Amino acid sequence: MKTKITALLAVLFLSISATAQIDRSVQPKPGPAPTITLEVPGEFQLKNGLKVLVVENHKLPRVSYSLTIDNNPIVEGDKAGVSSMLGAMLGNGTTNISKDEFNDEIDFLGARLSFGSSSAYASGLSKYSERIMELMADAAINPLFTQEEFDKEKTKVLEGLKNSEKSVSAVAGRVGSALAYGKKHPYGEFITEETVNNITLDNVRAFYQKYFNPNNAYLVIVGDVDFKTVEKNVKKYFKNWEKGIDVTTNVIKPNPNVPATQINFVDMPNAVQSNIALTNNVDLKMNDDDYLAAKVANYILGGGGEGYLFLNLREDKGYTYGSYSSIGANKYGASRFEATAEVRNMVTDSSVVEMLKEVNRIKNETITEEALKNAKAKYVGSFIMSLEQPQTIARNALNIKLNNLPADYYKTYLSRINALTVQDIKDAANKYFKPENARVIIVGKGSEVIPNLEKTGLPIKYFDKFANPVEKPVFSKPIPDGVTAKTVVDNYLTAVGGIDKIKAVKTVHMSGDVKIEGVPIPLTAEVKYMMPNKESLEMNAEGMGTLMKQKWNGTTGYMEQQGMKRDMTEDQIAEKKASPALFPETDLDMNNVSLESIVSINGEDNYKVKVVNGDNEIFRYYNTSTNLLTQVESTTEAQGQEIKTVVSYNNYSPVNGVQLPYGQTIVSGPQTISMNFKAIKVNEGVTEADFE
Amino acid sequence: MKKSLFSLAALVLAGFTANAQEVKYEEYDLDNGMHVILHQDNSAPVVTTSVMYHVGAKDENPERTGFAHFFEHLLFEGTENIPRGDWFKIVSSNGGSNNANTTDDRTYYYEVFPSNQVELGLWMESERLMHPVINQIGVDTQNEVVKEEKRLRVDNSPYGKFFENVKKHMFKKHPYRWTTIGEMEHLDAATLEEFQAFNKKFYVPNNAVLVVAGDIDVPQVKKMIKDYFGPIPRGEEITRNFPKEDPITEQINAKAYDANIQIPAVVAAYRTPSMKDRDAYVLDMLSTYLSSGKSSVLYKKLVDEKKMALQVGAFNNSQEDYGTYILFGLPLGDVKLSDLIKEIDEEIVKVQNELISERDYQKLQNQFENQFVNSNSSISGIANSLARYYMLYGDTDLINSEIEIYRSITREDMQEVAKKYLQPNKRLVLEYLPEEKDNK
Repeated sequence: MKTKITALLAVLFLSISATAQIDRSVQPKPGPAPTITLEVPGEFQLKNGLKVLVVENHKLPRVSYSLTIDNNPIVEGDKAGVSSMLGAMLGNGTTNISKDEFNDEIDFLGARLSFGSSSAYASGLSKYSERIMELMADAAINPLFTQEEFDKEKTKVLEGLKNSEKSVSAVAGRVGSALAYGKKHPYGEFITEETVNNITLDNVRAFYQKYFNPNNAYLVIVGDVDFKTVEKNVKKYFKNWEKGIDVTTNVIKPNPNVPATQINFVDMPNAVQSNIALTNNVDLKMNDDDYLAAKVANYILGGGGEGYLFLNLREDKGYTYGSYSSIGANKYGASRFEATAEVRNMVTDSSVVEMLKEVNRIKNETITEEALKNAKAKYVGSFIMSLEQPQTIARNALNIKLNNLPADYYKTYLSRINALTVQDIKDAANKYFKPENARVIIVGKGSEVIPNLEKTGLPIKYFDKFANPVEKPVFSKPIPDGVTAKTVVDNYLTAVGGIDKIKAVKTVHMSGDVKIEGVPIPLTAEVKYMMPNKESLEMNAEGMGTLMKQKWNGTTGYMEQQGMKRDMTEDQIAEKKASPALFPETDLDMNNVSLESIVSINGEDNYKVKVVNGDNEIFRYYNTSTNLLTQVESTTEAQGQEIKTVVSYNNYSPVNGVQLPYGQTIVSGPQTISMNFKAIKVNEGVTEADFE
Repeated sequence: MKKSLFSLAALVLAGFTANAQEVKYEEYDLDNGMHVILHQDNSAPVVTTSVMYHVGAKDENPERTGFAHFFEHLLFEGTENIPRGDWFKIVSSNGGSNNANTTDDRTYYYEVFPSNQVELGLWMESERLMHPVINQIGVDTQNEVVKEEKRLRVDNSPYGKFFENVKKHMFKKHPYRWTTIGEMEHLDAATLEEFQAFNKKFYVPNNAVLVVAGDIDVPQVKKMIKDYFGPIPRGEEITRNFPKEDPITEQINAKAYDANIQIPAVVAAYRTPSMKDRDAYVLDMLSTYLSSGKSSVLYKKLVDEKKMALQVGAFNNSQEDYGTYILFGLPLGDVKLSDLIKEIDEEIVKVQNELISERDYQKLQNQFENQFVNSNSSISGIANSLARYYMLYGDTDLINSEIEIYRSITREDMQEVAKKYLQPNKRLVLEYLPEEKDNK
């Protein structure tokens, strides 16, 4: 049954003879290429469909049995977790042997036995090979399903879920698959407390009946065994495994890739590193002609310590312990290309930029012949070295069957590696690496990384830990000891110029340019204030006179637009009274003021202060380093609708010793107005009449 | 369906006489004091070249912890004949793979190559020892990388600070009290001269063992070793005189917090003798008895029957100067940590008061035999074991004879060792708890 094929490798250079004195400044040349032996396993099949592969290897007195059931991917839906429950319950006794006796005997033999929902593995000393096989077969064919065991496993699964809740890598893995494949895809769905609670013991039993069958099963036996004896034993212990009904499930297509690069962010405040995965789905199968080219392209990009990603992000920048990439192949057309790194919070944005750069580099630049030569040598070396383990022979044979590969796939492997050209690599990189359609999935501490990520210009979508889209979270930081609403307000007053200078301000006159979003005409504005609480705003267009006026004399006010005059409502009057535009900080009742949090605005930390006046709440934001007012948020009701108005202040400069903002942006409902003042005058050119 | 227990027992006894897998090796010293071990196995065209240095975290200055591990990074930066950044490229472009690791006791570097590259592996390891380039640029780069490694493995990892907390309380004087990865502040404060001095002191041939294992031609490899390693000058002898710990006489109670976990853990840790001591082997058997496999005492009782724990375990952390025997449990649901410890203690008391059953004893022997068979299953694994047995145990032949030590351990030995070491007044009880949210 067993044939041996011996091939001489002609891929490595022949050595020069080593008689001369060594010259250690020169890297030594390799010796003659080693001879490799490619063995082929013995095979047979049972009537129930079970296919058996046997690799005899007598080097050590041990044996391993590995069972694989080649089912199509299965959607578990609202019972996600039923397969892992099955995996956990199998191998805990049989209808013939109680659980305790079964587990005890496995341990007694010094053996290992484990089950998955469509797999099993056992290993041990070869002197017990028959009994180990018998126990494995019994556990697979006659499993013991008890309610007690079910309840226990369920509790463990639930606790396990709880345990991984704060694990950044666990969340990154779950969200990554869910977003890439879609939550309804078998590779994208995940277990939650809810789905686990939906599962019953009968569901597990039914899943076993339907899917745990010999029809498409492979048993791989490796070790110190004799083919004839093994064949006899497999027939003896596995013949009673009944064939199931053929289940062909339709495998749904994974989510399409996104139209443009986007960041998908999940906030985990406990993270000290960001977990970054740049990913796009690929349809790559092991029997595709460019499969090896894609693998080698991936290797050059991020296969290890000499990949583009590693050399840049670790060796050059020191951002990470390691940055790698991977590309999966899948016979159902559902796999992913992924470039990953776990980096410290501070360099999250830079890492994203560098990762995109490296992925684009392998697409745009042709790799050097030397890089290709080195990559080929690595593949050849790995192939040779893998032959040390007898499992490799079995795994290769199984791969041929599971992935419909040509029978000589591994015989021609080295020559196909050596035939690859730099153009093949470039073509494969362009076909499978799609940074322009990639999600950059980042799990990290939002308060520290989002402000800089926003500067990358990539759109950011936010998700929770279960891949549900959410609004951008408010990232708050803890408030340092000793900082209170009062210190924030006092520091502001000091930063502006001090209370005496502020008190000396009676009027302010600001004039400058205005831009209203969607309005193409150039506009100018005149803004006037008079202490304690009067405001006037006039907007003019060149050659068209005054377009809009807004007046407030401290008691009443109106708005006039293109001849239409509208008095302020009571609500608006109340709001104006509650919040004078100019330096309300000089006259705040601190009982109504509270410090809420530190939030980030445009990448800078701000104290968020709440000012309450009756039913009215206003939020004022002060920059934590300049102490100046940066933003005021208020909400008014107009025609039964809540309208949020955000006024931002920037570009502060002193006038008469008082810091005043030369830039203001007002976002009110759908409207955005930006004002850029050219001149600000204090105590000059403003009269009472300006506010009537 | 059940096979008679007697026939199984007979099989076990029969197994004891056979020793089908002796690892043959040859060892000798070079003139500069470097120890060499060769193991020939031509069954696959693969060779491992490795060097173990007798330097680990315990050799560090208490104000400069993390140095040994830092070197494991630094010594890939380049040598006089290998430009900076080329190390990994040379290995992979010649079809090989390589890595290194550091413990409190030693640092280990290795390459695995197709066997026609054995000379390349020897050249690289001799370059690393003879004249590595240690400069500021390498130190600065690796400083960042090591910090990321710590964030990844310790700060961002659930239960990542568990070991650090055990060590801190178990050791008050001996350098096992700090972590292998060390304090980042110490690395930041270190000068280039300090790194160079560390290299000069510890990276010397008389503090190293070279192993070449796999598909080799012995006379040819011996000549290469002489050519590449022979010219490296011997260094000063290293004397180690670590402070001894005072005995623990009262239970140490401690707490630690981890922001990355939801489920607490409780740990009982006992200080035990050096791994060279026969008692350390007995403790290995005890930990297997207590927690290895579904039929083990603690798993069966706490996870299976009483459903009090999500996970329980025991392991014997064997080190050169002292060991630490660690029992731990993760409670299920609302089970109190103190109750978990109480249940674990009950089983320890049983081992102290009664002999384990004959059958359990045979089970242990089978488990250790299986472990022994598997421990020598790869060439690179054999290389590592040869180096370790030589350097840390002072007896290379343990690769073949260690199993005999386990076989010689009796049930009475287990009882006695449990009594000797696993006493409540000689231990640490650590509650490892989820960190409360501190976002105000």
